[in-house]
Amino acid sequence: MRRVVLRRALAPALAMLWAVEGVAAADPYRLRVDSVGYTQSPQSPVGLIVLQGDDKASPWVDAEALAWAGNTNGNADVLTALVRLHDPRNYGELRLGRQILAVGSMRPVHLDGADARLRAPTGTSIEAFGGVPVQPQFGYKPWDWATGGRLGQSVGRFTTVGLSYLQQRSDGRLAYEDAGFDFASAPVPWFDLAAHGAYDLIDPGLAEAGVSVAGRFGDVRPEVYATQRSPSRLIPATSLFSALGDTPAQVVGTAVKWRMFPRLDVLPTLAARDTAGDVGLDGTLKVTLRLDDRGDGALSIEGRRQGSGPDLWSGVRAAARVPLSARVRWSTELELVAPDDPRGRGSLWPWGLVALRWIPVEHWEVAGAVEAASTPTANREVNALARLSWAWGAR
Amino acid sequence: MGGAMKRLTLLLLLSLLLVACAQILGIRPHDSKPFPHHIHVAKGGVTCTQCHVGIMNATDADPNHLPDTAKCVSCHAKPHDARDCKECHGLEYVREGVQSDLDHLKFSHATHDKRLKGNCAYCHRGVTDDSDHVRPPMAICLSCHEHQDDFAEARTCDRCHKDLRGEEVRPESHLAHDGDWLREHGNRAFSSKELCSTCHADKFCASCHGRTVPALPERMAFDDPLRAGVHRAGFESRHSLEARTQPGLCTTCHNTGGFCEKCHARNGVDVGSGGPSPHPQGWLGTRGERNDHGAAAWRDPSVCASCHTGAGEQLCVSCHRVGGTGGNPHRPGWTSKLRPTIDQPCRSCHEGAP
Repeated sequence: MRRVVLRRALAPALAMLWAVEGVAAADPYRLRVDSVGYTQSPQSPVGLIVLQGDDKASPWVDAEALAWAGNTNGNADVLTALVRLHDPRNYGELRLGRQILAVGSMRPVHLDGADARLRAPTGTSIEAFGGVPVQPQFGYKPWDWATGGRLGQSVGRFTTVGLSYLQQRSDGRLAYEDAGFDFASAPVPWFDLAAHGAYDLIDPGLAEAGVSVAGRFGDVRPEVYATQRSPSRLIPATSLFSALGDTPAQVVGTAVKWRMFPRLDVLPTLAARDTAGDVGLDGTLKVTLRLDDRGDGALSIEGRRQGSGPDLWSGVRAAARVPLSARVRWSTELELVAPDDPRGRGSLWPWGLVALRWIPVEHWEVAGAVEAASTPTANREVNALARLSWAWGAR
Repeated sequence: MGGAMKRLTLLLLLSLLLVACAQILGIRPHDSKPFPHHIHVAKGGVTCTQCHVGIMNATDADPNHLPDTAKCVSCHAKPHDARDCKECHGLEYVREGVQSDLDHLKFSHATHDKRLKGNCAYCHRGVTDDSDHVRPPMAICLSCHEHQDDFAEARTCDRCHKDLRGEEVRPESHLAHDGDWLREHGNRAFSSKELCSTCHADKFCASCHGRTVPALPERMAFDDPLRAGVHRAGFESRHSLEARTQPGLCTTCHNTGGFCEKCHARNGVDVGSGGPSPHPQGWLGTRGERNDHGAAAWRDPSVCASCHTGAGEQLCVSCHRVGGTGGNPHRPGWTSKLRPTIDQPCRSCHEGAP
């Protein structure tokens, strides 16, 4: 109770969502405008407008865009603006514009550029891309560029292997150069396996790798996974901190999804994590109860223990989404986090949110929420959020 | 007598509790309240088309041909209730499913009847046992249609689905995003990009992985607490804990070039803005004193880079340059193909060194 943080107590928490959508199935044009307002948020804008659109004009061309505007500094920027030209049977494809490129096991690259893909009936596929890595506010530096690609091969119906490559330069200097592989196989309907690895070619060594094996036995789906990630290789080689060298973090874990009853799901996870020789166990137990067959209403409770790393903590989170009527939905979230070593930051960090969504008339949607928290930096913090929506067409 | 009453009351309460639990958990006998197709067809001799008039000529643009009350009373001349028959008979979610199929699938009963010649039960297998699962699951479609071949051929689901991206419906029977999908999705997507893109447009990925404004779903869908997301609930409070636990995870989406620094400055959690240092006591010490920063930097250099980038690197160079007091910051066995005295960032420390 030391101080009340309410930086913009009466700032307008206004939100607006417009969705204009082509109704005819043959012409799936979609336009949508979102605007959301927060009275405060450290990293979010006070107001945010998001415009997105889809257009499938013909069997061989479609386009999409997502732009946003209106943060605290009045900025605006584009997330995607993309035209996709493709053979109707998808043997060839060319994507032009701002896009997210996830090519094989390479890290996702946000790029202004072109991506071309060819696929042969034999199951071989070739993908190549090139362009300028996205910088916020179009703040390009000279000689920033990225290029790479993937060579893939399907083996039978159920297995795919691929080799990929990425080179990225910042101001003309080599920032990333990685080669990688990916593999996925589902030989029988109840079993699948996926693995990937990325190798740093600048400071030779494994940058990131992972394997996941999952089965499906009736209502139970167990998964076993292992990952390795080397953070020094995930930052650009142009950064001084890349010279600190390789300290990979390794995780071996399991997650089990169990539909215990038709409306009750249980999800326990357990993972052993080794970070620079510091080994610990992390675990969660999440239970979700659907209040109706479709899951429109649901309750969830989750316990979590972070037993690895320099900051150990435990937490519990409860959430509810309850339709009060066909047009009104109430939801809430509560979270309590207790760090093992508070270090003067408070021994318990509570966080809570209560939200209401209302559909006053068809196509319109209104949502409002109040969240309150006691955080490591503020003894008490209150925030209001709101959204006004207009949706038109089937969605 | 009193004891018997107590036991009876307890038994009654337990029974009520069990019934309530079963109702809450969705446990119920199969066919709890389905429409009794079997009685009509097998015992009553009613053909499908007597009630579902026009279904045999229906295309995917036609209505769903579910019978209304007028159709029922054409046989049941003295209904026992004045309400609409569907208020008690048949299951609402089955009717919703029928309408959903009509909205989202390219399907023509007329085309199928040419092959099946009136054998509706070939697909609607639940009809024969009065199951509430009258609507054929996708597995029934796949028993004739070579779905695998269709997808392998064209890498699209458009042959049956009108507009998967627009539907925004989670798959039930296949490709279900089960388990801890948020963590798992990357590993699965590396080899299956085309499969993912059948439902997800580029903007779906960009809304989290984009560089200009990541984590949009968390900002927009604050009223849906059961939606999966990395920044849900009190993430702001615990973000430092999570960042330290999973080295390198934050840089999957966030730029190392000042993302953290800007936010800390805005909230007064940095020295530059006159606020407290985010570093604990004993972070930087001379010989013999506690000096934690080296071990922390080796553990996750991406956290250091998120604030001390650009000019901030000079803070490190002032001690760790060749011949400086800070010593060699490289891990044992560290190599690079960059040239120490020529390429950046090496020459920041190595320039002029022998």
